Amino acid sequence: MSFGQILVNWLLLGSLYGAVALGFSLVWGIMNIVNLAHGALIIVGAYTAFWLYTQLHIDPYLGIPLTMVVLFIIGWIIQYVAINRVIRAPLLVTFLLTFGLNLLIADLVQQFFTSDLRSINTAYAGNGIDIGSTHIAFDRLIAAAIAIVLIAALDYFLTRTRIGNAILATGMDRDAARLMGISIRHTYALTFAIGAALAGAAGAMLSELYPFDPSEGGTFTLRAFVIVVLGGLGTPWGAVAGGLVFGLAETVVPLIPGVGPGYDEAIAFAVFVIVLIFRPNGLLGKPTFS
Amino acid sequence: MAKGMKAQTSPTTQAPPGPKEGREWLWSLLLGLLILGLVATVPFVGNASDLHTWTLIVMFAVLAQSWNFIGGFAGYSAFGNVVFFGIGAYATGLVLLANQPFWLGLIAGALVAGFFALLLGLSVLRLRGHYFAVATLGIAEAMREFVTVRDVGGGGGGLISLPLPSLDSYIRFFYAFLGLSLLCLLITVFLTRSRFGYALVAIRESEQAAEALGIPTYWYKVGAFVLSAMPVAVAGGLYGYWATGFDPDTVFNVGISVEMVLLTFLGGAGTILGPLLGAIAFEYISFQFQASGFTFHNTLLGLSIVIVTVFLPQGILRIIQEFGRQPAAGERRAGRFAEGVRRVRRFIAANGI
Repeated sequence: MSFGQILVNWLLLGSLYGAVALGFSLVWGIMNIVNLAHGALIIVGAYTAFWLYTQLHIDPYLGIPLTMVVLFIIGWIIQYVAINRVIRAPLLVTFLLTFGLNLLIADLVQQFFTSDLRSINTAYAGNGIDIGSTHIAFDRLIAAAIAIVLIAALDYFLTRTRIGNAILATGMDRDAARLMGISIRHTYALTFAIGAALAGAAGAMLSELYPFDPSEGGTFTLRAFVIVVLGGLGTPWGAVAGGLVFGLAETVVPLIPGVGPGYDEAIAFAVFVIVLIFRPNGLLGKPTFS
Repeated sequence: MAKGMKAQTSPTTQAPPGPKEGREWLWSLLLGLLILGLVATVPFVGNASDLHTWTLIVMFAVLAQSWNFIGGFAGYSAFGNVVFFGIGAYATGLVLLANQPFWLGLIAGALVAGFFALLLGLSVLRLRGHYFAVATLGIAEAMREFVTVRDVGGGGGGLISLPLPSLDSYIRFFYAFLGLSLLCLLITVFLTRSRFGYALVAIRESEQAAEALGIPTYWYKVGAFVLSAMPVAVAGGLYGYWATGFDPDTVFNVGISVEMVLLTFLGGAGTILGPLLGAIAFEYISFQFQASGFTFHNTLLGLSIVIVTVFLPQGILRIIQEFGRQPAAGERRAGRFAEGVRRVRRFIAANGI
């Protein structure tokens, strides 16, 4: 593989990983909840895109707004009905609860769509631009562009709109925000719903690029966690930074002689431990979202 | 608490009947022995399928009881303890494949897992909160992948096939699990009565305060982690031979980790009987569902987790204590019931927004 090809693969994969971690980062930063159901929500997004594609013949990328609406509603309900009730309980309780939701969602997806491996093959899959010996696939390029747009949009929403500021304020100091007249219950539900919608968008993108089945959620949750730890919780752009670093590890490590492919989780875990030793708050680390 | 109550009652009034605060551990121990004694009659009163079910129920009880040491007492959210189950299973399996006796395999599994827990604990127990939880989750996943890719079992993808144990030995497996559960019960009682256990509870309540009191919190945590690893490894070894073979996806299944946590929470984390009761209650119901052809195992597990965390975060035992406590003077039974309901609702409200 040429150096240019490795570079392109890395940049495209890194941006995609940024999108995978974005919703997870938001929920963790604002509510201090590690959402173990994040991977399951990504899978729901992938299957929603799959359903839209097979039933209504909507392209997964064009269907992203619809997928995000579906996941937004699911996310709102989950937060409003379940997570809001234990938000101040010890960490282990919310951790366990989101894992339970993860199992529940993954099992329901499996009941509806069976556990078969699915994939979406669009007409333009495989097409791309060739610059010298470097091949840039269209579908990956579009996914990376959408990821950047989503991250920029989230950044704009949080810093420039009234509702976004309310979310940030709640993340900084819940009690002060309540005293300013912000409804914590609704803000949290909205935050989680946005997080779920972003997970859905990531799922729709992944559904076009990789084959998927209902059991893969856990992998994405672990990766999202590592990416957020790498990038830090400070800003949506931290997700891209973390995604790029993680993408680099995943692109380069299998090229090392004697290692070979197949160690994705081990790489994720090793990167995670190394970063925590040297930068406990992540690479762009700030302790909270701001 | 006990002193406060004594100060309130004047010397002339009769002390309320029933277990006193200081003796609670003794009653819990006796009740635990009674439960295990009742379970021990299963091979005599039940058929082969009951034996199969109860072997697994007792196995899950052992897993939950062991998790209680690090999760219930020390309050550390270890989410990857299934890694010790897998290590125990593989160590025992490899010893058996080398034509060595089974008991040697179990000891090897316990020692390897204990040593692994020591090394792992020395690094990850410096982390706190979410970081610790996900680090343990990650190590379990990484280990599963490693065993699969390196094909440690030699059967393709890490699969191990073991010789079939003789038919009558299924009863012996059952009693081995039961003995292990008894051992865990005794260790738990020891923890509630010893300096080591007090230190762990102090860490759970406030690690900084414990540190300030001069408790070497780091070493106590590592100790609790090793202690919670070894019985799980023995259970893993027993399970491996009992099931005559396994693959990495079965014995490193993170779902088992989560079941340990759920069962402990369901019964009551940090209590003597909680994990045992939680395991028997949940797994029995779960197996009944499976026997009736209900295939949504993860749905059941997920729903139970949601219900337990939202409505019973302190476990069954706590609820029983709440309703079974001594009535205050002039309090009627119906009034006590209403008060109990109110307290549970207040607890739920206190955790939400």
